[in-house]
Amino acid sequence: MSLAQKNKSMRSGVLLAVILTVIGLVFAQVALADSSVRPPGNAISLPEEAGPSNALGQRSDSEIWRDIYGGVVANPSSSTATGQLMQILGDDWRLFRTNYILKYSHWVLLGVIGAIVAFFLIRGRITIRGGRSGKMIARFSMSHRIAHWFLAGSFILMGLSGLIILLGRPLLVPLIGKEANAVMTSAALQGHNLFGPVFILSLLIVTFRFMRGNFFQWADMKWILKGGGLLGGHASSNHYNFGEKTWYWMVVLIGLVMSVTGMLLEFPWLVDTLAWHQISTILHAIGAIILISVALGHAYIGTIGMEGSIDSMLRGEVDENWAKEHHDLWYEQVTGKSAALDETPDASAKEGTS
Amino acid sequence: MSFLELVEGPLFYISGTIFLIGALWRLIGIIRMGRKKDISPPKGSAVAGFFKGNLRHFFPRGLFAERTWMHVLGGYGFHLGLFAVMFFAAPHITFFQERIFGFGWPALPRWGFIIAAEIAFAGLIVLWVRRFSDPVMRMISDRDDHIGSWLTFLVMLTGCLAMQEAHDILRAIHMGIVDIWLLYFPFSRLMHAFTFVLSRGATGASYGRKGMNP
Repeated sequence: MSLAQKNKSMRSGVLLAVILTVIGLVFAQVALADSSVRPPGNAISLPEEAGPSNALGQRSDSEIWRDIYGGVVANPSSSTATGQLMQILGDDWRLFRTNYILKYSHWVLLGVIGAIVAFFLIRGRITIRGGRSGKMIARFSMSHRIAHWFLAGSFILMGLSGLIILLGRPLLVPLIGKEANAVMTSAALQGHNLFGPVFILSLLIVTFRFMRGNFFQWADMKWILKGGGLLGGHASSNHYNFGEKTWYWMVVLIGLVMSVTGMLLEFPWLVDTLAWHQISTILHAIGAIILISVALGHAYIGTIGMEGSIDSMLRGEVDENWAKEHHDLWYEQVTGKSAALDETPDASAKEGTS
Repeated sequence: MSFLELVEGPLFYISGTIFLIGALWRLIGIIRMGRKKDISPPKGSAVAGFFKGNLRHFFPRGLFAERTWMHVLGGYGFHLGLFAVMFFAAPHITFFQERIFGFGWPALPRWGFIIAAEIAFAGLIVLWVRRFSDPVMRMISDRDDHIGSWLTFLVMLTGCLAMQEAHDILRAIHMGIVDIWLLYFPFSRLMHAFTFVLSRGATGASYGRKGMNP
């Protein structure tokens, strides 16, 4: 090996030694720094058992979340439900609302409208057998009529605004867009909240004003067996038939549920259990769909579906032949005459037939 | 100019001016009609009768109280509720202050406004139902009565629907109907808001002069 080669080899060795020394010093400094970490002088020493000895625990994230989702009780710093980390009912409520109520409500209503149209096309308008007699008989007093239309008016306003609130997003947004739906929903919400107490007041008036005569009687059983006359034969009834009585009690009972749940939704501070609010929205929506559906049938049979029906609520009186045909027991009770239909109406009788 | 600016600005001032001139024109016209000279010797004061007639008709006659309680209640509920909503709702006071008077006055709290509006709605519905379901009322009611009722209802309804004050279009619809209502008012039976004083007074004065209770 030449001298030059020896020198070169020696310089390389020195360079390697310097590098290794520097690296060694760096690691030594890091090790020294680690060993110098200590609490500040003014730190308070806690007993070892006071601090969380194992903050992360032995459970995996998935196990922890599974417990929380399962309703594990703990002491969260903020929660709507005392001691419960996650209000799991919310998920069930959302799924039920989305998968059933929002999905099927409008189909139920469309189905009812379709059934009414089909009934009208098949059965046609139910005319007064024997035509109008031209003689009228008092059926509803002024206070009855005012109570009825008062409820009907507030019900229509509540129904329309409620349907916009309930079905606006799934049904109206695709048709009119988000902006227009936002405007309509804002208006509907204000109207719904405002008319709610008016509806409750009108419901109370109707409940007490129409209660007399709306308790079920033996004649109602016969009426049911004859299908209200739809299955053939004459179905006798008192002042109210079975259908009307059922409708009355539906209005009263479902109306009561609607009123209570509506008040809980309008004044949520009345109860502090979230589950009540969730149940209220579900019951409110289901009750609304049921009431609106039956009200459509009620409105149909009370107007275009049956000749002479509307007179009772517009004028407070009905044609005698209508009374004999649909409320024969009541007719006999108030007039003391037989309800047997006179099949040979006079000339004026034919005037109103359709 | 947006639709809201139009109905709150020029259209409002035009309809408001027509409302004022029209109402004054009709009131002055009624007063100028005068009455036939009564040459019989007076047995009482016609002036006292005028005021007595006005006050006396605020209360239902005992004889008819049982039959009329519902529309008396509805009538008071509607008119007082409407008055409270019209003049004491916070947004209305702000509007009056900014657009007409230049000053404001204390407003009803929100809950008070809502209760007043609900009473007004309930009253209006009762009165309108009576109009079409009472045989006599139905006979004497014509298109004007129904248009007046519905316009008033729509003014109230659109106002309440805009209560959230979140969408200009709702406010604009309300103001547009208010403009129509103001235009219709002087030329319809809505004028009874002013003429009732004269009609009650005329009856009262006639009775008072004869020494009778109006």
